[in-house]
Amino acid sequence: MATKYLNIFLKEAEEHIGSLQNRLLVLEKEPGNTVLIHELLRNAHTLKGSARMLGFEDISVIAHRMEDFLKEMEDGLRQVDSAGVDLLLQGTDAISRMTDALAKGAPSPVDLEKFIQAFESGGSTAEAITAQEPAETETQIDTVRTSVRTLDSLVNLLGELIINKKRFEDKTADLKELCRAAEAGAPVARLKEFHRALEEDVLYLGFIIQQLHAEAMTLRMLPLKTITEGYVRMVRDLSKSQGKEVNFEIVGDHIEVDRVLLESLKPMFLHMLTNAVDHGIELPEERVARGKPAAGTIRLTARHEGNSVVVEIRDDGAGMDPERIKQTALRRGVIDREEAEMLRDDEALYLTLRQGFSTSEIVTDISGRGVGMDVVKMNIEKVKGNLTLKSEVGVYTEVQLQLPLTLAVIDALIVTCADQQYAIPLSYVQETIKIRAEDISTVAGKEVVTVRNSTVPLISLAGLLGLREQKAQISGGKVSAVILKQRDQTVACIIDRNNGTSEIVVKGLGGQLKRVRHTFGATILGDGNPALILDVPDIFTTAEGVSTLGMRKSIHESQLHVSRGRVLVVDDSITTRTMEKSILKAHGYDVTVAISAEDALEKVAVSSFDLVISDVEMPGLNGFQLTARLRTMEEYREVPIIIVSSLSKDEHKRQAIEAGAQAYIVKGAFEQGTLLDTVESLIG
Amino acid sequence: MAEQRTYDIRSILEEMRQEYWQGLAETTETREELLECITFTLGGETYAFETTYASEVIRVPKLIKVPGVPELIVGIFNLRGEIIAAMDIRPLLGLPPTPLTPAARIIVIKAESFTTGIITEEVQGVVGLPVELLEPVVKSVDGGAKEFIRGQINREEGMAMLLDITRILDSPALTVNHA
Repeated sequence: MATKYLNIFLKEAEEHIGSLQNRLLVLEKEPGNTVLIHELLRNAHTLKGSARMLGFEDISVIAHRMEDFLKEMEDGLRQVDSAGVDLLLQGTDAISRMTDALAKGAPSPVDLEKFIQAFESGGSTAEAITAQEPAETETQIDTVRTSVRTLDSLVNLLGELIINKKRFEDKTADLKELCRAAEAGAPVARLKEFHRALEEDVLYLGFIIQQLHAEAMTLRMLPLKTITEGYVRMVRDLSKSQGKEVNFEIVGDHIEVDRVLLESLKPMFLHMLTNAVDHGIELPEERVARGKPAAGTIRLTARHEGNSVVVEIRDDGAGMDPERIKQTALRRGVIDREEAEMLRDDEALYLTLRQGFSTSEIVTDISGRGVGMDVVKMNIEKVKGNLTLKSEVGVYTEVQLQLPLTLAVIDALIVTCADQQYAIPLSYVQETIKIRAEDISTVAGKEVVTVRNSTVPLISLAGLLGLREQKAQISGGKVSAVILKQRDQTVACIIDRNNGTSEIVVKGLGGQLKRVRHTFGATILGDGNPALILDVPDIFTTAEGVSTLGMRKSIHESQLHVSRGRVLVVDDSITTRTMEKSILKAHGYDVTVAISAEDALEKVAVSSFDLVISDVEMPGLNGFQLTARLRTMEEYREVPIIIVSSLSKDEHKRQAIEAGAQAYIVKGAFEQGTLLDTVESLIG
Repeated sequence: MAEQRTYDIRSILEEMRQEYWQGLAETTETREELLECITFTLGGETYAFETTYASEVIRVPKLIKVPGVPELIVGIFNLRGEIIAAMDIRPLLGLPPTPLTPAARIIVIKAESFTTGIITEEVQGVVGLPVELLEPVVKSVDGGAKEFIRGQINREEGMAMLLDITRILDSPALTVNHA
């Protein structure tokens, strides 16, 4: 048969199956709604006809049975009750499974004879249907539907970018003209005017980019409805199988969240709703005995709150009993008696999130919940959200999830390790520190450091990532380390350099690198090159095996033999710089020379120094200007700078201090002792 | 004057007609026999695959190493905002990984499930390769490499090895999924 017709049929069937499913769920609540029954009849009827036309007899037969069944309901020959709705839903499922199989070209998973038999007798049809693996991907998550307005706006903004580019091209031409004029001695005023005009263009460019970014981000958003719809059926089936009556209400499912977030919400919803039905809602007779309505209510609410989305799942069931939770936690060894006494009731609820508490085996004997609550907790941490529990025994339980609006942009610390840059999500970074040899001690052979009064294992990032055995950069007898934290775990991770924090756009590594250990994606840095984003929870799972060995020793050695520190000497006079260089080298310093301030700026961009010594008067930028320039750079804000000059007036000294220098040595009084003493007093 | 011009036009038209027919004859010829391929250098030898797989050729940018992945994935780079892995397939073909020169290029390939870049020592160009000259791979090529080579074409300009690019892309050594 032509696939064209098959595709048309599949699409039509999908619509009818969807409305059958939704209308049946409504019918269960409104059994007297005859209009609804009639619409259902039409769905079944159309399905039957279309299937027969294309020769799908089995589908046609089931649809026919459903049609008859609905007809009897319409004519009042059959009662509209949940048992009936149940059967019809099973019929809908069977057809849905058969169309799925058709789409894949697979054989029908339904044994028609068995199915009809079960359907007629009002029993379960489960046996007639071969089990299938759940579909792997949700197409809805992979594709984007967007409004024409959004697209138009994107295209308009791109148009603006192109216009802006033209303006920059004009400016380049202007600048060329200006250069020529400057050679002929044009007034500075023209340059200033040019600068102002350029500044305006840059500002406007920034504005367009910001708009474009915001528009593009909305494309990542999907309504919560995309996933909540599936749970209506799940809650219904689950509660029925346990003989419970549950009204499942959803409020605010139009709220849009990041598609990646939706993916991680799925397992959370599954666990929380299962818990609400299993452990929250009581049996009807129990509820009535307690003076509650026989049917319980589970309400899922979503709303915006500041820069986040808040999702609440609340049930009016048995609630969580803090006393019993404490007892169970005690029995399981999750807490000790002392801790149990200290815990307030509202704190006790959170024990259910601890690992070791929430195994299904022990959940059965407490009056609360707990199946997979640690799964929920883990997922919420993964998306950097928050979880709050509230409950009153016998009245309600409420789980509140606070989620970020997007996962696409995060704050990160950029570090260098083995010549490459890595991004670490800032939410896992406690602080960055410098470690000296004397800060390191060993515990059972493993090196540790003390951070804020607690002992923390010392690991090497390069070692952890399995990079070639490379010596950590030791400068001035210190190594840099970033303190990573996750829940109650902390580790000190040695890096080569800390490049400051930055807002980064999270990208996947592409289809070829689906999942790479220790990373969860990449970002593109200012220089246009990618940097990997480290997966800190993953790092914690492997951190134990890679604790550093001999870091203390290598820091010591670095001080004794290699270098007491790296010094950059800037002077346009070859005599002065050679003299300074030989004095410092003779005393164990590693010296690099630069012949001008511009040369110095190039050198600091590619390697790092512990101290800078600069002349004042040089062609191009002078020493004060160089100092001021260095102070604006993240890496050089704190690095000591010594000004060496033949100018000896107090005025000059003041200028040097104002620019940010630590010391001022007059060349006239220049002698070995002064320079060396000053350097030693600053970097040891 | 007028006569002179008419004469000119006629001869020009005739010339054009000739060219047209000649062109037609040529294209029908090529359509039957030539496979349009991109040719490039690996281990000093000439390799080729169909241009339909190649989406663009770029200079080798800075490649960022990814820890814990097979060695042939040299690193990742940024192609207009998309992160793409660059591969050195020479070891797959049993070729020595000689250092790259400034002539090195990456051929970007858009495969079904991912986009990837193949590092080459040099991209030679796009040529039509005569399919009927394709011979099966010589026996001496070792088994692993043979899997990825469809055969060699002995042209006047020299030997060209035709790669089975889909086989290469399907190779499990190329994808990483540390689940």
